[in-house]
Amino acid sequence: MKSAQEKSWFSPSHPEGEVERNEFSVARGDDVIGRLASIRLEKGDTLPDIARHFSLGVNAISAANPGVDVWVPEAGERIILPLSFILPDTPRKGIVVNLATMRLFQFKEDGRSLLVSTYPVGVGTKERPTPTGQMRVVRKATRPTWHVPASISDDHRKKGNILPATVPPGPQNPLGEYALYLSKSGYLIHGTNKPASIGLNATNGCMRLYPENVKMLFNDTPVNTPVTIVNQPYLVGQRNGVLYLEAHTPQEGSGASELEKINEKLRTIEKKAARTLDWRKIKEVQTEARGIPVPIFEIRQGSENDAAKKPIEVEHPDTLYGRPEIPELKLDAWYVLAADVRDEIDALRIAAVINHQGPHIPARVFSKSNSYRVIAGPFNDINEAKEAAKRLKMDLDIDGIVIEPVKEG
Amino acid sequence: MKKSHLLISMMLVLVSTLMGCATSGELEKVQAQQKLIDAKAEQALQDAQAAKAAADAAKLKADEVTTRAENAEKAALERERIADEKAKRADAAFQKSMLK
Repeated sequence: MKSAQEKSWFSPSHPEGEVERNEFSVARGDDVIGRLASIRLEKGDTLPDIARHFSLGVNAISAANPGVDVWVPEAGERIILPLSFILPDTPRKGIVVNLATMRLFQFKEDGRSLLVSTYPVGVGTKERPTPTGQMRVVRKATRPTWHVPASISDDHRKKGNILPATVPPGPQNPLGEYALYLSKSGYLIHGTNKPASIGLNATNGCMRLYPENVKMLFNDTPVNTPVTIVNQPYLVGQRNGVLYLEAHTPQEGSGASELEKINEKLRTIEKKAARTLDWRKIKEVQTEARGIPVPIFEIRQGSENDAAKKPIEVEHPDTLYGRPEIPELKLDAWYVLAADVRDEIDALRIAAVINHQGPHIPARVFSKSNSYRVIAGPFNDINEAKEAAKRLKMDLDIDGIVIEPVKEG
Repeated sequence: MKKSHLLISMMLVLVSTLMGCATSGELEKVQAQQKLIDAKAEQALQDAQAAKAAADAAKLKADEVTTRAENAEKAALERERIADEKAKRADAAFQKSMLK
């Protein structure tokens, strides 16, 4: 019965390679790009891994699938890939970042048509938010050096970690391999050594992208490209004569005013169309805030295309791009015992969180008779193991125990 | 006058004699009926008591089952709450770890 229902809603299975993630053409007069998709999870999947493979932020995949465990989702569960977006309400020129949706749009004219590339981003925290406004790219750098700001240096010192004044290119560098410096001093669009942070409020005001995405953006962005940063949690737009509404959880403090703005916009549309909008549905979309464009109104009656509303069912890829790899166990290696817990889900979750640290710390779960152990490693020497234990303590408040190699013979 | 008095007296004696005969015969019958009814009442009482006891026992069982169900539900909710909390704690710790 369930599969019959699913069959009626989900389109037949498509190879994942066919699903468009980043590049879209924008039809004249349209504001909505892309198409929703769905995928059936397999054992060992995590939402951040699925998100990265499909160029989504962890915020977007979590909001679209409320109630699904981020780190230990059930195998066989089908989730939505929110690969449809309403373009921000800005001029379609240069780079536009919407902080509320944590998504960057890069507009390009191609003869008579408009092309847009879009990537998920990580943005500033509540304490150190990304500034909104107009700016431009003033400089570009590959393999940038990170000049550690005093504020970040202080934060680390308080945690007992002394940072150098500059961090050279490499796995320890949080800027990753590419950086675009903005005209607003101190703010950059850059890569990351923590890919799982894309779609989180985790930066000091910069915007970070997946390594594979920042490379594409970098190669495609000339110096002086205008950059517009907006905060639009509620978006309204049309495609093929249908009006769509997309709602995201607002960034701290901006909810009420943004809601009033979008409702005013909808009232204007209602007045112009001389027909009543379904305000109950509008409120429902705004409350659920699933970050998915939802059709709310037929501007041209009878124009709603049912096929376009159906999510495309995508086959699970053999390997997920960027998924952290866990090296094989070695008897002569060092390890860190990160946790010993009774619940398997707890253990799997801890291991997954450790595995998604940047730089990568491999971790796996060992099943015991009445408990589950999370073991980080293998590490080549005691220093590597101690460094990992230090990071586990500093970043995750885990008291790890260093385990020395097995002595053979 | 004397004749009528005598007649009345004779009739009274007859009536009282007849009444006396009816009382002793009926009494036994009534007593027997009373016994039967009493036995029936006793049986009914016992049946009622048994039914009440059964109902009480059933209610007790139902209450117990309800309590157990409620407890199980509470425990499930508590487990769910703890699991949610653990997941939230893990997410919060993860988010913190993603800062520069």
